[in-house]
Amino acid sequence: MNKEDLTRATVAADPKRDWIPSSLDLRDTWFPMAYGAEVGSRPLRRIVHAQNVYLWRDNGRIRAAEFLPGLIERMRPGASMFTGGSAYYPVHERYGYVWVWYGDPERAHEGLIPLIPFLPADGVGIPRYTQRSVRFDASTALSVENLIDLTHADFLHANTIGDGQSESDVVEFSSTSETLTRTRIVTRKSVAPVMRWVGGVRAQYQDLRAVLHVHLRNNLCISYPSFTPGYAIPNVQPFVPVGRHRSRVDQTNYTVHAPAPFRWLMPRISYIIQPQDNAVLRPQNARYLEPGQPRDMSSRFDAPGNRYRVLMTRLAERQRQGDFSYGADADPARDIADILGMHG
Amino acid sequence: MEKGHWWTVALTEQLAGAKPLAVVCDGRQLALFRNADGQAFALDDRCPHRRVLLSPGVVKPGGLQCPYHGWTFDGASGKCVDIPNLRRDEKIPAATVRAWPVAEANGFIHVFAGEGEAHDRLPAAAYRPQGREYTGSAVAGIGFDEYLDVMLDGPECLLAFPGVLITDFFLGEPRRDGAHLVLDRGAVWRGRGLGPAFVSDHPLLVRTRVPLAGGDIRVELLNAGEEALVTVQVAATANRRGTTSLAWRGFAHARVHAGPLGWRLRRLAGRAPFAVFGTIDGRAIAALEKAPSLARRGIIPIAAHRHEHACAAEESFA
Repeated sequence: MNKEDLTRATVAADPKRDWIPSSLDLRDTWFPMAYGAEVGSRPLRRIVHAQNVYLWRDNGRIRAAEFLPGLIERMRPGASMFTGGSAYYPVHERYGYVWVWYGDPERAHEGLIPLIPFLPADGVGIPRYTQRSVRFDASTALSVENLIDLTHADFLHANTIGDGQSESDVVEFSSTSETLTRTRIVTRKSVAPVMRWVGGVRAQYQDLRAVLHVHLRNNLCISYPSFTPGYAIPNVQPFVPVGRHRSRVDQTNYTVHAPAPFRWLMPRISYIIQPQDNAVLRPQNARYLEPGQPRDMSSRFDAPGNRYRVLMTRLAERQRQGDFSYGADADPARDIADILGMHG
Repeated sequence: MEKGHWWTVALTEQLAGAKPLAVVCDGRQLALFRNADGQAFALDDRCPHRRVLLSPGVVKPGGLQCPYHGWTFDGASGKCVDIPNLRRDEKIPAATVRAWPVAEANGFIHVFAGEGEAHDRLPAAAYRPQGREYTGSAVAGIGFDEYLDVMLDGPECLLAFPGVLITDFFLGEPRRDGAHLVLDRGAVWRGRGLGPAFVSDHPLLVRTRVPLAGGDIRVELLNAGEEALVTVQVAATANRRGTTSLAWRGFAHARVHAGPLGWRLRRLAGRAPFAVFGTIDGRAIAALEKAPSLARRGIIPIAAHRHEHACAAEESFA
């Protein structure tokens, strides 16, 4: 090891000076921990911020606890503040997901579950082919940055999503204290290979309007990409922080209105795209934890991502000061159909 | 940072075509690539934009393109020369990756790492292969300094000459020859006679040259007349997590046909005259006593080259 590296090894990464995505641990929010269809009487183990969540159904009723059901009585004295010492987390089912409250259970409220306008609230009729679980080898914040950031698809996913050739490409974004919304409007882009070969779009060019709405606390990403000619592929990507180095995403690619066989195949595209993302994310995540790293450089395409970093840092700072409330500008249950551009 | 050295980081043929190569040089991750003219470059394997590895990227006319967002870096200066999504009239941010001097010689790619001006004395300059070469590379599960120590204390743990038994009887102590320590040890042909204990004089010698700085190791199999039968150039450099990157080239000299029948037949059949181990037996290494390596570590003094003073004297007269 050369001397420069030795100096680095002795100085810890400083969250005040640098963006350390894996140091974020935002609370008082609902995490979609599993698909409702996957939870039965046998407990499933899921993890949020390195904390165990066991999910099962007790005579049909959904339960979420810190311990395996058979151990709860014995383990209860060790239960955390996240369950108020009861060992049971607040839990709800909506949009085909099991939502678990991460934070002070006293402040858990059903009305804080984000609204997803294109999914049936009771989850009835969401086909299983739209649901795919993927794992990211990075902290949630880096994974969300990857999703906010659009230009990477032209390079990392050129073989599936497209080559980035277009007539014009405009990115806009706006934010509240709890959300970030990014809109990309592309005219006359080359048709994505996947849409051409299995999506039945025979045209050479298409227009795209893609809106991404990110809930900052729980990394819930709601997307509405609409292609002309073509169709909309509304999707939900909830990034659940497993820990500082890994995250899990139970996606819903709601392709029910797209033609067959694209409807069935498109949700599976994540099996191609996601390893491509992981190949860059894995070493990237490690470097944000290494001390003495130079700070990131940016281009104008990073403006939405950099805004995300600012908003997340601000929210984390507010929580450090003991303020876990939701700002007046940011009701998670607000109807975002217009924001997503669902009506035209 | 230490004074700079030329490190050997790869074999020339490992960096072929348009595909970049990830290497680790003295603990530092580097991305090697060639431009259209075949010239090799070395950049830190870290994009200054979002810290991802550059080595899975693509070589473009302007340099190495990051696989994540397409930022492209000039191989010689390390400057960002292109962000493809920007309009052609837009300014490119002043982002730079550290670029390292690269030199190729005798089938090895060298990178000059550390401070100071890169000189022109390349580690593999004296390696001149004759006839067929045998090459390879590996990452060995042993630290860099330990690897050099074991090369002196027990090279039989790290490599072999098939048909030859390398003995533990090293001749005297390592002597200094320029920037290297040189040590000979006895060796015998396998299957000849009663074994090394019954040999009055070893018919073979294994000579190891281990660097005092840098990682260029030379191992030779010599006959009793100290003529080389086999020469192996092994390049070592610290990889991550206490491992060592190895790259080697070697060959059998023409006089190799002077050996016993089995040895000569193996040469005629084109079998490799040596093997460098990529997987190392930890039990054998743990059992080795530290002996000649104490000189490398400065624990016992290094014997000077017998001819060194004479040479120095000649030079002073010149």
